[in-house]
Amino acid sequence: MLLRLAWATLSRHLSRTVLATLGVAVSAAMLLDMVMLSSGMRASLQDLLLSRGFQLRLAPKGTLPFDTEATIANASTVTRTLRSMPGVQIVSPVLGAQLHVAVGDRTVSTTALGIEPAVQGDYEITSGRTVAAPNELVANADFLRATGAKLGDTLSVAAGFDAQLRSFTGRRTMTLVGIAHFLYMAADQRAVALPLATLQDMQGANARDRVSLYMVKATPDANVDTVLHRLEAALPKVSAVSIATAMQQLDTRLSYFRQLAFVLGAVSLTVGFLLVTTLVTVSVNERLGEIVVMRAIGVARSRVVLQIVLEGVAIMIVGTLAGLALGLVTARYLNSILTSLPGLPAAIDFFLFEPRAAWTALGLLTGAGILAGIYPSWRGASLPIAATLREEAVG
Amino acid sequence: MIAALFAATVFQSIDTIPPHRPPRTTAIDERLAADAGMRIGDKLVLSATPGATNGDTVVVSALVQRRADPSEVARAEYRVRLHLDELQSLTGYGDRVDRFAIATKGGASTDSAIRQINSAAFGFEAYRSRDIAVETSRTFLVVSRFHRAIGVITIVASAIFLLCIMLLKVDERRRDVAALRLMGISARSIVWSVMIESAFVAVAGSLVGVGIGWAASAIINWHYRGVYRTPLAFAVVTPEIVLLAVSLSVVLGLVAGFAASQRLVRMSPLELLTGRREERASQPVPAR
Repeated sequence: MLLRLAWATLSRHLSRTVLATLGVAVSAAMLLDMVMLSSGMRASLQDLLLSRGFQLRLAPKGTLPFDTEATIANASTVTRTLRSMPGVQIVSPVLGAQLHVAVGDRTVSTTALGIEPAVQGDYEITSGRTVAAPNELVANADFLRATGAKLGDTLSVAAGFDAQLRSFTGRRTMTLVGIAHFLYMAADQRAVALPLATLQDMQGANARDRVSLYMVKATPDANVDTVLHRLEAALPKVSAVSIATAMQQLDTRLSYFRQLAFVLGAVSLTVGFLLVTTLVTVSVNERLGEIVVMRAIGVARSRVVLQIVLEGVAIMIVGTLAGLALGLVTARYLNSILTSLPGLPAAIDFFLFEPRAAWTALGLLTGAGILAGIYPSWRGASLPIAATLREEAVG
Repeated sequence: MIAALFAATVFQSIDTIPPHRPPRTTAIDERLAADAGMRIGDKLVLSATPGATNGDTVVVSALVQRRADPSEVARAEYRVRLHLDELQSLTGYGDRVDRFAIATKGGASTDSAIRQINSAAFGFEAYRSRDIAVETSRTFLVVSRFHRAIGVITIVASAIFLLCIMLLKVDERRRDVAALRLMGISARSIVWSVMIESAFVAVAGSLVGVGIGWAASAIINWHYRGVYRTPLAFAVVTPEIVLLAVSLSVVLGLVAGFAASQRLVRMSPLELLTGRREERASQPVPAR
């Protein structure tokens, strides 16, 4: 009965109801997007960092992984130290560098990672196999597109260019043995991976026995924080970064997006609330006569209030459901914009859908719908019956 | 590498500079000075690697404020400025530099200089500062695109909100309009009056919005300049933006007013007076 009455009122001014629902849908879409934005980035980065099970990263003291060109010296000693530590299961050293590949009469530059194939956590082979010999490399699809290389091709790869001698330095002939998906590379970033020792050798004295980063996986029974403190105590020249620390760094650097999400989410909620409040208030004012007649024939005040609140909630729920679908579409579009930020790993998503986000948006807007209906309905239901009836009758 | 230099100031204290040579000067980042409690005149020992046992003593001679450069805004690293030969020596870089900055007389001379350098210097490449600025500002270009997309969604929401308000307003005064129509006022005049009213509401709202936007931009700049410790302006309310916002509001107002007024002029004055068409459409549901 209550629902039918609420529906009758809403359908009396169909265009008004449809417009209000549309307005709520846009607000809900924006609110959902902002809830997704506020948590999606963190969840996405956490998934990425843990995708290969490495919970700790070690970078040169005072730096973040690959944030500067600084490297860790005496890598072989550090590697041995790390591997002998209790609680450490896998240690994966990585050296980052820039390489140049001769393609006809031009050169293509690419990001190169020096890795130990047995323990690497930077790529997943999609075709072919991983590197096994010093003169082998794997590359990603962007590299293949830029060079036109195919599996099994032999490539002339150099570490740098000497302007005085006008020749490449650290030149090697290498065989492409695998195509890989590099987990931490930006979109469109060309990348190759080759044995660590080969890349160190190609880089010359500057990279001898040096690495840019260690990735460390703790044993299942070890406490990651304990391992981290142990590493920092044993290796004072490196900074150990746990997932939690990386999250904190991300929060600091990208706090703008979280704050924007909060502000825009609050604005969306307010707009939805105002829209429904306006509509319900006008609707109550238009039918004061109807409301007092209901009261006069014995309908309880709470029942009148409930019916009017139901109208607001109905608009909010229908609008929110439409808005959730719209929000997923707009989130996809907005995500495509933000993921083109330079240097960002392609696997990072700013807008990550989680059921919690949808429930949060639905809950907030339903709550706003209830609040929007309470005041006007209570005011309408509290009017003096006789006086209002007389006013309505006299007009 | 630069970060390693700073780390070295903390982790090592052995000075390899011969005692007879006076220490050279360095300019340090304001942020580094604030975080490490350094002042002008302080002596620092710098080395190329963390924990190295050799280093150079330098004297802080100036504090440098970070430039308003979008590409640097999210970078948390510290920076120092050294004499070129000292940095080359400290890092073992030899007689090398990363880049040259060249001032030209502007205009055609820049093109000519770029042509000459690129044709003569094998292994070098000359770029315009403007092109480099565009490349390093890509982050902000992406953020601008994101803001524009959010702006479009906001405009759609505003248009719906405005149309809804105008519908409520015209519904409220159906009887007044019916009386005007019966007195001979043309439908055209009524449409125009509603459109003007709607445009007025939109302009008034947009002017309030400009005020809120101006205050918000001041808060945003104050907050993010503090967070990122940069003089960069993050939000700027320009006359062009105000003009765009107000113009858009007027257009939206006129469209919303026109759409809402059609409800008044499509019904006959009698229907407006009695609201009969609406009543037919909403026969009360019998209670069961």
